[in-house]
Amino acid sequence: MSEPTTIAAPAAPAGFAIQKKRLRLLGLTVDDTIKAFFGGNAVVAIVVLTLITFFLMQEGLGFFAQNRQSLQVYRQAGLEYVDFIRTEVDDHTALTRYLSDLRLRQLTALTEGRKLSLDEANAALANFDKFSDTFSSTVDPVRSLLSDLTEQATAIKTKFIVTGDKKEERAQLLAEGKTAEAAAVKIEETDFAAELKPLLATLPAFKEANREFSRALTASLEGAPVPPTPELVARMERLKQLTRDYLARLPSVERSLETWDYTLPIPAWKTVSSFVFGRQWLTASFWQDWYGVIPLFIGSLMVSIVALTLAVPLGVGAAIYINQIASLREQRVIKPCIEFISAIPSVVLGFFGIAVLGQALRALSQFSWLSWVPGFPYSERLNILTAGCLLALIAVPTIFTLAEDALNNVPRALKEASFALGASRLQTIVRIIVPASLSGIISAVLLGLGRVVGETMVVLLCAGNRIAIPDFTDGLSVVTQPVHTMTGIIAQEMGEVVRGSIHYRALFVVGLVLFVLSLIINYAAQKIVRKYRISIG
Amino acid sequence: MSAPAAHLFQSQPNAARRSERATFWVFRAATYLVLACGLGVFGTIFFKGAGTVFKAEAPFINTTFFTEAPESLYIFEFEGKKHEMGDREFRAFKEKYPAAAKVKSESYVYSAGGIFPCIVGTVLLVIGSMTIALVLGVCAAIYLNEYARDGMFIRFVRLAILNLAGVPSIVFGLFGFGMFVISFGWHVSLLAGWFTLAFMVLPVVITASEESLKAVPKGFREGSLALGATKWQTIRLNVVPYALPGILTSSILGIARVAGETAPIMFTAAYVVRDKLPWDVDKAGDFFLQGVMALPYHIYVVSSKIPQNEYTERVQYGTAFVFLLVVALIAASSIILRNKLRSRYKW
Amino acid sequence: MVIAAPILMDTPPSAPAKSSAEKPSVRPMPSFVPSAAGPGASTAPIGKTLVDISHLDFFYNTSQALHDINLKIEAKNVTAFIGPSGCGKSTLLRCLNRMNDLIDGTRVARGTIKIHGVDIYQPDVDVIELRKRVGMVFQKSNPFPKSIYENITFGLRLQGMNDSAKLDEIVEKSLRGAALWDEVKDRLGASGLGLSGGQQQRLCIARAIAVEPEVILMDEPCSALDPVATAKVEELIQELRSRFTIIIVTHNMQQAARCSDKTAFFYLGKLIEFADTRDIFTKPANAQTEAYVSGRFG
Repeated sequence: MSEPTTIAAPAAPAGFAIQKKRLRLLGLTVDDTIKAFFGGNAVVAIVVLTLITFFLMQEGLGFFAQNRQSLQVYRQAGLEYVDFIRTEVDDHTALTRYLSDLRLRQLTALTEGRKLSLDEANAALANFDKFSDTFSSTVDPVRSLLSDLTEQATAIKTKFIVTGDKKEERAQLLAEGKTAEAAAVKIEETDFAAELKPLLATLPAFKEANREFSRALTASLEGAPVPPTPELVARMERLKQLTRDYLARLPSVERSLETWDYTLPIPAWKTVSSFVFGRQWLTASFWQDWYGVIPLFIGSLMVSIVALTLAVPLGVGAAIYINQIASLREQRVIKPCIEFISAIPSVVLGFFGIAVLGQALRALSQFSWLSWVPGFPYSERLNILTAGCLLALIAVPTIFTLAEDALNNVPRALKEASFALGASRLQTIVRIIVPASLSGIISAVLLGLGRVVGETMVVLLCAGNRIAIPDFTDGLSVVTQPVHTMTGIIAQEMGEVVRGSIHYRALFVVGLVLFVLSLIINYAAQKIVRKYRISIG
Repeated sequence: MSAPAAHLFQSQPNAARRSERATFWVFRAATYLVLACGLGVFGTIFFKGAGTVFKAEAPFINTTFFTEAPESLYIFEFEGKKHEMGDREFRAFKEKYPAAAKVKSESYVYSAGGIFPCIVGTVLLVIGSMTIALVLGVCAAIYLNEYARDGMFIRFVRLAILNLAGVPSIVFGLFGFGMFVISFGWHVSLLAGWFTLAFMVLPVVITASEESLKAVPKGFREGSLALGATKWQTIRLNVVPYALPGILTSSILGIARVAGETAPIMFTAAYVVRDKLPWDVDKAGDFFLQGVMALPYHIYVVSSKIPQNEYTERVQYGTAFVFLLVVALIAASSIILRNKLRSRYKW
Repeated sequence: MVIAAPILMDTPPSAPAKSSAEKPSVRPMPSFVPSAAGPGASTAPIGKTLVDISHLDFFYNTSQALHDINLKIEAKNVTAFIGPSGCGKSTLLRCLNRMNDLIDGTRVARGTIKIHGVDIYQPDVDVIELRKRVGMVFQKSNPFPKSIYENITFGLRLQGMNDSAKLDEIVEKSLRGAALWDEVKDRLGASGLGLSGGQQQRLCIARAIAVEPEVILMDEPCSALDPVATAKVEELIQELRSRFTIIIVTHNMQQAARCSDKTAFFYLGKLIEFADTRDIFTKPANAQTEAYVSGRFG
């Protein structure tokens, strides 16, 4: 209060110069610049994530336009028309397959049930074989028509593609300034209406063939022999029913053919839905390429389910053991060991699967005392089970480490309170510790899932790489079938595709699906953990 | 079922206790099963691979395997004797015995010679990508831990790092392919592989570095700032030097990851086979723009593209053995060093 | 304890707080530290207002930590801030060299802090320069994991001093000033972390005085020390008062009574009373102050 220090700050006394002008570059001091430099590095994470999105989109999104065009050509060139007939024939083939399965069962029944020799049994089935032959040959008129039409449609498509190539060639020549050469490239526009005329003109012939087929098939059912056992009789009845249903569907095929119009445009959603819900991933085919992600997705899903089924009990169990039950010495030894397992490169595990595990599991499946296990015995060395087992080994360390962390974070006081109330160790673990850390454990499992879904080398080497939706009709034995996965398909086909082709872009879209999937899994895991933190605090 | 208790608190065997013990045994079994599986993988590969890598006589190590490039293996019978030869040896043999040119031989690619170029390639990939990742990662961690204040931006950065950690490696491969190989026109090259791998381990390095920076006590920073040091002086003189050992050890785990991943380099940096060694380049710039052979990719190739039999097994197991050994050593040293460091730095 | 009592006794009766600024106080303790002619030391005569805090409101995010603080701190005096935990005394201390800038969400909402008449929260103030002039010793001793010698020279090297003869001289002077020289002169190359707790704290004080600040802020410097080490640090404070303006935050009322010339009592973020130490402890004007110093709460 003594000296009224002036409000307007005076020039500081010489000895107390705390106002200092620092060197400035573009309005930034050196320290600001350094800070900006470090900040720039931190932004890299965001930038990389953005770039990943950008490049996957850049390469991938073109797929949908190209796929739409591919579907358009599929329609315009009459391939779709021919496929109506093909489906009809294929359905019939499915029935014949049922028939041969029936024959096999009869043979077994005769040789094992009635102790006939193989020759005797075959002789006894002569009647059945005759029926079977008639049954399968009924479709022949339609089939021969189909093969003609297939050729025609393929020819139209080829013509269109050649035209496209020529256009490209000309455009390229023009771009290079070679006008004369460009003019020399002859382009024959594909006139789909004219090209399709002969194809469509076969409709009466098809109807005729179809009628004959229908009559013959109905007639053939009359000659169906009666199988030896009641169970097989029932199967035969089932076949008859299926055949009758099939026959009832035949007119609808004709109607589809009649109403089919090549000029109908392909709606935009169709190109997306054909990818998302497409049940076929068929590439480099002479007929029509399909890019449906479903078989790959199911493959990834099945492998992950098997892996998690094994890894979750093991990982969480080990975490509980190490965190709650094990002695200090065990803890010290085992924890680094399990962490160490996570360092095994996946390609080595994949090699181990091919070289050792595949064979070992198959050999195991062939023991007769294990035949009660669904799917056992099996013959495919590389399948969902093999890949799943190895992926479990990859997921266990992840789940273990994170779950152990979660258990560790449970306040000691909770545990002590439970003990003080006279609870046993098991009761404390089951009722107090695990519930308190449940969300941490769930998020550990989710992150384990993320690891498994994104794993490439193991599934590429060990999942069998058969691109088909596995057959779920036999229940759990589905795990012994080979599949292909989303990660595997990228790794396998990326090296072979033509840059910019529809196939190339389809692989990028699969990558995009994986990317989005991993983000979702990650997000869910974080969300759960965050919720958990709040509940504790 | 038991004798009367001698006193009130005498422990009595009962059903609850037995079931508790049984349950604990189940947990214990799960733990040891996991260990057994890991040991099984290690054991098989070590046991079978050791045959390729080691020899019975001095110098006990199969030097050819470490110093030569992969070759095709020829197996043939000549003058009643069975021979197994690598490509070059076979050609020399044919020159020596012209009659041998006509013998029928079985051949297996990559099954003779060694894996020298793959080792070189992997080492180059690891060095390059870890350098990039460490520079980016440590700087980013310094920003996050020293400069950043909580806010939208930082939350965004952290979210990005967390999510980046969960992106599958094959997606990094696709990204590297789209960006470096195609857009930047680097083709399949070391450079493209370096950046792809560096971005892949970036979250690991950032997290590890941040943890080490956090372990440096606040007092070091405050003490320095209170003496009139600038922020940068404080970080440079009084924070980073103490965090550096921790950063480096934790980053070794990143090395294991970089060395072990196959999917990201499949289309960005790895060649199935390449005759030239990386330093055989015309001009220095080409060094960065060449593809290399790499151990993990070589394992993929030899385990999927050639049949399994007694002749190919040697190179398959041998390569897997060397690779596993290298990665295991890196990982083990990281774990051991980390534990040591934790006990040493207690401020 | 032993030396504490006479200090209080010897402290001459000062004028009431309001007028004490004009009145040069008598220095009872002989200073055997050769007074360094630092820039700060020469500019502010004893007893003159050096730090002038007026109407200071301070916030941590939305919660107000300091309410309308008005305080004038005199040069070359020891001023103690006392009060129960969370009363804002440490916060105020950290405002004086802007260490609070390092904490997210802190802000000075109103009022000024002037040192030598310069508002230290003015935008053109260089925080680094400010902190060179206003040193700080922390609650927990924080020697750097470097040698004792390097600890002392750290601040000087930052200012670009590289002359080793000069550095040696300052190291000795500072260590003597911190009454640590005799204990460590044979092991200047040893790590500062190897010292005992009290020695570490005195090392931190030596480190602070090496850069010749004008003000030294001490944030509960003895709270982690045993009584013997505490006594040594308190002794040291007495020796330093002739050269530096010392502001000390303490939990320990006896300590405030022993070491300080003036005492400010804070409660719930408000300055309740500021007066000569003797007055605060013998005839506090405020009932809350009396309750606190007589041990009825806090």
